[in-house]
Amino acid sequence: MKIEPLAKTLSLWGFLLLLVVTLTSCGFRNSPEGITITLSGWQSNPNEKQLLEQVLRQFEIQHPHIKVKHETINDQYMDVIKTRLIGDAAPDVFYLDAFEAPLLMKYGVLEPLNSYVNAQFDLADFEPTLLKAFQLEERTYGLPKDFSTLALFYNKKAFQEAGIEQAPQTWDELRDDSKKLTVDKNRDGRKEQYGFGLAPELSRQYFMMTAFGGRLIDRQENAAFFTSGSLKGLQLVIEQYRKDQSSAQPSDVGASTGSEMFGQGKAAMVLEGTWAIPYLQETFPKLEFATAEVPTVNGKKGTMAYTVAYVMNKKAKHKEAAWQLIAYWAKEGLALPTRKSVLAELGFVNNPLYAPFAKGADYATIWQSGETLPTILTHFNNQFISALIGEQSLRNALRKAQRSANEEIQSAR
Amino acid sequence: MRVVWKKQGVREAIAGYSFMAPTIIVMGTFVVLPITYALFLAFNKVRILGELSYRFIGFKNFIRMASDERVLIALKNTAEYVTIVVPIQTILALLLALILNSKIKGKNIFRIVFFLPTVTSSAVLTLIFMWIYNSNGLLNNFLAFLGLPTYNWLGDPAVALKSIMLMNIWSTAPFYMVIYLAALQDIPESLYEAATIDGANPFDQFVSITLPLLKPVTFFIVVMGIIGTFQLFDQSYIFSAGSGGPNNSTLTVVLLIYQYAFKSLDMGYAAALALMLAGVIMIVTLVQRYFFKEEN
Repeated sequence: MKIEPLAKTLSLWGFLLLLVVTLTSCGFRNSPEGITITLSGWQSNPNEKQLLEQVLRQFEIQHPHIKVKHETINDQYMDVIKTRLIGDAAPDVFYLDAFEAPLLMKYGVLEPLNSYVNAQFDLADFEPTLLKAFQLEERTYGLPKDFSTLALFYNKKAFQEAGIEQAPQTWDELRDDSKKLTVDKNRDGRKEQYGFGLAPELSRQYFMMTAFGGRLIDRQENAAFFTSGSLKGLQLVIEQYRKDQSSAQPSDVGASTGSEMFGQGKAAMVLEGTWAIPYLQETFPKLEFATAEVPTVNGKKGTMAYTVAYVMNKKAKHKEAAWQLIAYWAKEGLALPTRKSVLAELGFVNNPLYAPFAKGADYATIWQSGETLPTILTHFNNQFISALIGEQSLRNALRKAQRSANEEIQSAR
Repeated sequence: MRVVWKKQGVREAIAGYSFMAPTIIVMGTFVVLPITYALFLAFNKVRILGELSYRFIGFKNFIRMASDERVLIALKNTAEYVTIVVPIQTILALLLALILNSKIKGKNIFRIVFFLPTVTSSAVLTLIFMWIYNSNGLLNNFLAFLGLPTYNWLGDPAVALKSIMLMNIWSTAPFYMVIYLAALQDIPESLYEAATIDGANPFDQFVSITLPLLKPVTFFIVVMGIIGTFQLFDQSYIFSAGSGGPNNSTLTVVLLIYQYAFKSLDMGYAAALALMLAGVIMIVTLVQRYFFKEEN
């Protein structure tokens, strides 16, 4: 008598469990007519998402048996991707920044694309330095979809008010202009406008170091930036911040990025990338700004280049379909296209806003330097900020940063 | 007779265990198993991205810890944080509980207002405070209005950790206040009446009656406070966008573990650090227990 109701309830729950399991497993199977591949990336602004969706829909029309599921990962993109790669749950195709590429290439989680590239696909059309960023030991792991360099953004109205006629051509001119452009109109001790907006990160300052012959790593990929060349280059930045007091970090004025600081009128000049152009046009439509090439440092032209590629997950199930997507994307691009033919065709060189970026591609330093760069970046940024706010001298900061970066690199080996 | 007793005992045991089974399975899989695995990982060099591989290296991870500068900085930051936050938090909780326990009007409203920070998620609170701490934000405008110096609460290394402390005290004190409130209401009125008859003033009553009777609760709150503050992660993560800066000033031990585990993918070292932290917390708790027991 006692056992019967127990058996009944057990069988009822067992049946319900079975039902739930069957129903959930029925939902997400690929039907034989269609393949679904997953694409992940980050999103710089909502505009970009719309353009991306348009391109994806066009791709689906051209390839009727492939459906693309797009997912945006905005926060801590690389952490999420790495964790998913470990858990075998990564998307089939995803964005990869050149900066992070060496680590993933070395660990063998990306599919080499050499076998998919056939004669019709012209690899030589890609800007060689950008393509090289995604190649390791003769194998190509990604096709760079677009790139951006840094250029000087300046506020035309602020320039008029300060009586400056043209954008500064050399770094000394930039410092002089900054002093003129730093104003405290109501004399309350807090400046409303700084001449120059500063991004105190290695990713933005590296070209200052190379202008004086500095470099980041040595042959064994240890940190090697503590040289007199790097010191000279970075000293210019520190002096402008501390002595001239004509530059400011975004956090000093309550902004989160350089573009925001520039848009709010708190900085009259910033060095930013092509991503800033749609952001400024949408968020600060009344701002009158123009772009120019980065002023020469130590008589040399220089700027940074950042590029992003589409890469394929080695564990992707439908590799051929994923390749179709990558190949299709190699023809489009949302920043500046990496194919020389497309760049010329789309007339970027003649567009006044984009021209300085396109010209910068010739002499830009690409932001990538082996798999130890992320570690070097953390240590450098930490100490550089401390030197910037005057806690220690730049010499001490760089020496400490190099030593602690190398300690970490050594112990991780 | 014995056989019957045994059967019933066994059946009850089975019934008991089968009721506990879901919890045992869940706790076992999600708590006990990961801890054992972490113990194992701490003694290996682990490669987790790409092919999974382990290499037994004994105590090398722990030796590395001793010479790692960032570990020392993280420990120092965390220790500074604990020594300032826990006393202030406890005292504030006691004060608030005393206010709520007294016979002032509007007690219910005060109770709701005081408890509000605790029910808000810490991530949301951090974001709200980041707005307030903005260089052009509420706090600086308020200070400038009063003629006091303003600070760069988010960007200045000397101040950043203090900003987090302020935010944390404000958000966790109410939780401990509720515990103190419950304990206060447990103290019988007759003790206070007897003391008043003997001629004790309110302050004497507080020191001689209230505090001693609250000792076990205080011990509990201090221990929980220390365990909680040692594990500070989400606020310093959001504040520094994961970097622990500026200049390692908001780097706490758990944030360091996170960076080693998920950014550098050095799981073995991160597991060793986690074990070290667990050890430190355990030692501190035992020390406290010794002190409180002695006074009892």
